[in-house]
Amino acid sequence: MADQLSPARVERWVHGFVDAVEESGEYLTDLDRRSGDGDFGTNMVTALRRVREALAGAEPAAAGSPFQVMGETFLAHSGGTSGPLFGMWFRDFGKVGADTGAFTLAMLAEATANGWATVARLGSAGVGDRTMVDAIAPASEALDRAVDAGSGLAEGLRSAAEAARGGAEGTSDLLGRRGRTSYVGESALGSPDPGAVTIALFYRAAERAAAD
Amino acid sequence: MRRQFLNEPGDVVSEALEGFAAAWPHHVRLNSDPDYVVRARPATDKVAVVSGGGSGHEPLHTGFVGTGMLDAAVPGAVFASPTAVQIRAASMAADTGRGVLHVVKNYTGDVLNFRIAGELLADEGVRSDIVLVDDDLATDTGDSDGPGRRGTAAVVAVEKVCGAAAERGADLEALTALGRRVAAHSRTLSVALAAGAHPGQAQPSFELPGDEVEFGVGIHGERARERRAFGPTSEIVPQMVSPLVEALELVRGERVIAIVNGLGATHDLELYGVFGEVRRFLGGAGIDIARPLVGSYVTSLDMAGCSVTLVRADEEVLELWDAPAATPALTW
Repeated sequence: MADQLSPARVERWVHGFVDAVEESGEYLTDLDRRSGDGDFGTNMVTALRRVREALAGAEPAAAGSPFQVMGETFLAHSGGTSGPLFGMWFRDFGKVGADTGAFTLAMLAEATANGWATVARLGSAGVGDRTMVDAIAPASEALDRAVDAGSGLAEGLRSAAEAARGGAEGTSDLLGRRGRTSYVGESALGSPDPGAVTIALFYRAAERAAAD
Repeated sequence: MRRQFLNEPGDVVSEALEGFAAAWPHHVRLNSDPDYVVRARPATDKVAVVSGGGSGHEPLHTGFVGTGMLDAAVPGAVFASPTAVQIRAASMAADTGRGVLHVVKNYTGDVLNFRIAGELLADEGVRSDIVLVDDDLATDTGDSDGPGRRGTAAVVAVEKVCGAAAERGADLEALTALGRRVAAHSRTLSVALAAGAHPGQAQPSFELPGDEVEFGVGIHGERARERRAFGPTSEIVPQMVSPLVEALELVRGERVIAIVNGLGATHDLELYGVFGEVRRFLGGAGIDIARPLVGSYVTSLDMAGCSVTLVRADEEVLELWDAPAATPALTW
């Protein structure tokens, strides 16, 4: 069915996301150098390579299976604070998609809302704190609007990707209050938060996987 | 130039764990990938007490696995939190069905990974709760929005007291309340004479002039906010103990557990000298050291220095402190 994300398309989404982060690895690390300790891109790429290895050859049992693998891999191998938070983020997509053959737009909206709540709770981060939440929140709101309006899957994910990108770009003007950014203050102004940029890449990959 | 006994710096934690487990076969058993240490003879029918954190603080936490203290310990890389998956695996191995108490030093990475582990455990049907240890007075900024005080040597007291209570059958709620009470009544101040060096690094993490001490250090090799004049023990120790008495609002006639802890490269000869000064100072203030503990228990690699911890002690805490323990690092 066209308005559902089949396991094959979920795999395309995940691989597209891994590719995008690998391509942006140096850029993300550079962003992190301005606001944190400069290991974000490297850590992300290392964890995602493990994800790719773990996914290779595995036949997804459900639409959420690739996200379950991502969640476990990040939680098992990623130190620091952003790695585990991304692990819990992917895990919420895995949970919503655990018993279904394909994701609907409503399921993706639900997973995004759950993931937002999880990251906000565990990271004690709200909108405007210059974290991944600043990209998640607008994406979540865009998905809810799309579901309410009865939009198609591709259209809904396009609006989420645009909203996440806008949110990520907006972090350039924000002072960090959580995470390592909170230690460097104004010197990070002018460049976006790498976690928020990564969330934007995540929805950009979703949009492409739905549209292809 | 520092030299250390090691092969590859990246293998230092796994090689030490292997040696540790081989050295204490009657006390502990090592699980590899994910890495954690459990008792050689697992307890039955009690709340499991589990702790963990970055490596480089040995004998903490693995050295406290055994009867009367921890059921499991989860080591991370040097000065880095263990992962949530490691913590989940160790907790599930230690759980007897009565739940798991996590004793966590207050650092962002440790708190996050233990909180995540708690959520993962809930999905597995395992109950758990966290006692946060935040005794470092040097990081008491009063900022309620900040990360709060760091966790340091008071973690030994929390692990000892909670471990003993768990052995006697206390439930998870009672243990959590007890651990939080001990942590709330503990404060520590640490002074460094020289920084330590990471495995494989020739240079220490900071240089200190010969006439100064780093006052209020943590246990991760970082500098303190303040440098003060170096001097005889009789001048340095009162500067450490007096603020602790004030912060805990200890009054004449009260009793404390006093822990003088070496930070990794300070000799027992010096530590006992420090303890003597602590005792003199508290004696002058009319405060009774009901139980002393002197030695290197919570270290910061090979940092030279020491910490002084005071724990307000009531009868229940003292009785639990006195209960038998048989672990690699603490036995009585």
